[in-house]
Amino acid sequence: MNTKHADVVAEYLHEVDLRLSGLPVLQRRELLADLAAHIATERTERNIQTEGELIEVLERLGTPEVVAAAAYEEAGAYPPVPTARGRRRAWPWLPAAIGGAVVLFVVVLCGALAVGHKVGSVERSPVPGPVVSANPGR
Amino acid sequence: MADVGQLSTGLRRGTLEFCVLAMVENEDRYGTEIVRRFGEEPNLAASEGTIYPLLSRLRRGGWLDSKWAESPAGPPRRYYGLTPAGRSALEHFRTEWVSFRQTVDRLVGTGEAA
Repeated sequence: MNTKHADVVAEYLHEVDLRLSGLPVLQRRELLADLAAHIATERTERNIQTEGELIEVLERLGTPEVVAAAAYEEAGAYPPVPTARGRRRAWPWLPAAIGGAVVLFVVVLCGALAVGHKVGSVERSPVPGPVVSANPGR
Repeated sequence: MADVGQLSTGLRRGTLEFCVLAMVENEDRYGTEIVRRFGEEPNLAASEGTIYPLLSRLRRGGWLDSKWAESPAGPPRRYYGLTPAGRSALEHFRTEWVSFRQTVDRLVGTGEAA
């Protein structure tokens, strides 16, 4: 096998592989093995000699984007979002909001317990609290 | 809205897989053979590399099985064959397709009687 030809094929397969990161590893390997076998078979059965002919084989396979898109569609998977910006969470504030809510809940709960305890003490106290005057017309 | 390309994509979706099943109905065929066969059909023409993910789905779904075998000269080949489930899926499609086609022909006015 000509080294330069091997480079063209390896580069193509690598470009496909780069786009398959969202697929289960076995499906990914299966597709790459199928493509490699296809290219090897074409080379042998069509007696491919030149790099130009080899590139035609790759062009008939389709661009790495097209092949990867088909792989995701058939796998029922969604391609990973390509950029770091796009990979951000839909709601980046959500974890902070949940944390805040938990803290707030604990604070309120402690407060309620403390107040409840104090009220209980007051109720149990032999000394009655200030009695509201029964004669508002004072 | 939908252009011609999208129309043929939509028509291929859901029918192409039965063309694959029919292709291996009577004898096992290897991947490149199946792909080449599709390449000869202008109406089905898709990038060859998109057939392999389809074969993978049909295999995972239990309609095809596959085995690698040595070739007389050249690299090993992956042969695909129909499973019993694939065979009955193909039979079911044939029945459905005929009545589906007749309905569409009648509604769209493409039938022979139209």
